[in-house]
Amino acid sequence: MVETTKKRNRVFDYFCEEDQFAGGVAWCAGCPLELTARFVPKVLGKNMVFVGTPGCAAPVLHGQNVGAWHRLAYLASVMTGVPSKATGISRYFHRIGLDATVVCFTGDGCATDVGFQPLSGAAERGERIIYLAYDNEGYMNTGNQRSSATPLGAATTTTPVGKMRHGKPTIAKNMPLIMLMHRPIYMATATLSHLEDFAKKLQKAKEKVKEGFVYLHVFSPCPVGWRIDSDKSIEVCRTAVRTNYFPLWEADDGKPRFTVNVANPRPVTEFTKLMRKFSHLKEDGLAELQKAVDERYALIKTLVDANQ
Amino acid sequence: MVSAQKGQVMVITGNAVAAYGAMLCRPEVVAAYPITPQSELAEQLAQFVANGVLDAEYVEVEGENSAMNVVLGASVAGARVVTATSSYGLVFMYDALQEASGFRAPIVMINANRETPGIHAVSSGQQDMISARDTGWVQIIVENDQEIMDQIIMAYRLAEDKDILLPTMVNYDGFYLSYLAEAVEIPRIEDVDGFLAPLKKQPPRQKLVPGLPIGCGSHGMEMGYVEARYKHCQALERVKGKVDEIDKLFGEYFGRSYGGQIEEYRTDDADIVLVTSGSATGTAKTVVDAKREAGVKVGLVKLRLFRPFPAERLISALKGKKAIGVIDRSICFGWKTGPICTELKALTADIGVVPILSYIDGLANLDITVPHIERVIDEVSAAARGKPYQDVTWIPMEE
Repeated sequence: MVETTKKRNRVFDYFCEEDQFAGGVAWCAGCPLELTARFVPKVLGKNMVFVGTPGCAAPVLHGQNVGAWHRLAYLASVMTGVPSKATGISRYFHRIGLDATVVCFTGDGCATDVGFQPLSGAAERGERIIYLAYDNEGYMNTGNQRSSATPLGAATTTTPVGKMRHGKPTIAKNMPLIMLMHRPIYMATATLSHLEDFAKKLQKAKEKVKEGFVYLHVFSPCPVGWRIDSDKSIEVCRTAVRTNYFPLWEADDGKPRFTVNVANPRPVTEFTKLMRKFSHLKEDGLAELQKAVDERYALIKTLVDANQ
Repeated sequence: MVSAQKGQVMVITGNAVAAYGAMLCRPEVVAAYPITPQSELAEQLAQFVANGVLDAEYVEVEGENSAMNVVLGASVAGARVVTATSSYGLVFMYDALQEASGFRAPIVMINANRETPGIHAVSSGQQDMISARDTGWVQIIVENDQEIMDQIIMAYRLAEDKDILLPTMVNYDGFYLSYLAEAVEIPRIEDVDGFLAPLKKQPPRQKLVPGLPIGCGSHGMEMGYVEARYKHCQALERVKGKVDEIDKLFGEYFGRSYGGQIEEYRTDDADIVLVTSGSATGTAKTVVDAKREAGVKVGLVKLRLFRPFPAERLISALKGKKAIGVIDRSICFGWKTGPICTELKALTADIGVVPILSYIDGLANLDITVPHIERVIDEVSAAARGKPYQDVTWIPMEE
């Protein structure tokens, strides 16, 4: 018999901790959020506090109806108080000399909408916290309603498709850029198709948060709400990067750069065809979406180029 | 415990007194957002930190909701904290207020009472505090600047007591007390340390520790939720006796006490009793004295503890009286009578079926004057003699 050695993924080199979550938790099949939640403490280590909020992460993070599904210290907050509670915790930990990472873990609804004010406040004050927004482009936990991170044209239950309306009429907030304008000590986007990139960014976040505010924006497709087959979520992440729909970039000390360069970006239709939330869009609607994607990318590229 | 030494006497405003009171208790994390009539307090605390008088983290938050959330996070992590607000600021904290009490976080908040939204009113009134009554907090109302100082110190002793562990709100009438300079004895910080020292001898309270599987604010399972609520209500019940006990200890140590849950003023042999709260009480006491001179057997109850409602002490003070007049500096939407009067009427079965007259006065910076209180006493006296009376009187509307 010939022994073969499978090439070991380099992402394992970034792990300093075993999985902190139980198996068989109550997240949906194929949800990248579950993998993100498991991934973060593996890289950051368990000497951390999660501050979470009602949303997709809550059923497991907050131990809904079971008590505990993980081994981490966490604080459950309503959506309006996440970075502020993290501020209080972080300030006190520093005061008493306790070296621990405080991580806010919320969806895009909390980050871009109802919880934006305290996020902006904490970023401006340079609080030593990591704010990780998992972006599934809407209020998925309550059943796929639109948030201000929902993209142009997308069908949600509050931007439904009918005779008079055809999905969301406005583009998504460019949240990573908005957060960069607060000049955090570190800002990055990440997604699960590029694990090593994600791991490097988490490691950097862990170091940089000792000096100030860190914002991480993690693209996290929702198989249920976007109507994706549950085995396709990582492929959707990868396609989002390859189409420039979700560029992977970072800003260390305010200096933006792409961490993954896409040589020949694919048309956004390669992304939209993987799900059904855009399936009602005709050619003109898809062209509008492509324009929004191009504009967003161009804006980031301008900043990156200016920094060269 | 030996007695405290005499502290320095300063003539300062109620806001400044509150800042000194908080500073003397050595909070470790402070977060406050300025709002009229509290702003001077937020500024003074920032100045204490800037001058090194107070060794604390001062978080200049972007709104009151964050102020409450910052001190809540810090409190859950184990810190002693303070925040301060008023009116719309208190309203803006509404969700966090409920989390604070649900988490059993021993936060002390200073609230300079002011009218609340609906009609914009930059003016005094107790509507803010009254409207927050169902948030599960302990709510205490004080009468003058010295009582602001003393009650803040007592609030820490109460909130952090292992049998209580509840957030506590110290309220004083904005505009009236916030800007009123009075001579106040500032206790020596060593003596405040001494008074609060028993808290340090308690077993450490539960807190958030990184690396340990401790969850705060978890989704309650059905029975877990009920149990947490039950224990919260039990703790509120324990507050009543504890407030009396701490007031007595404070009196023995500092030489000043306030009656605990309520202050009874000339009630022992009184036929009729006025119920007041806050800064109007001083005026009312003066009128009670004058009426006594004129032979009217009138007494006064000052409500100090609003939440939990001091039912037992009120029953004991009011039982057998012939008529009662209650002056509310706020309103109770959906009831004709003022909020404190409405709650007092829930005790009718124990107090006895006697006339209880509700007076709404002092809203929106209107003074509760000597003639107003004279009128109240005259009408309550007449009601006690069996004369017909009006259930509710909005005094300013009848002038």
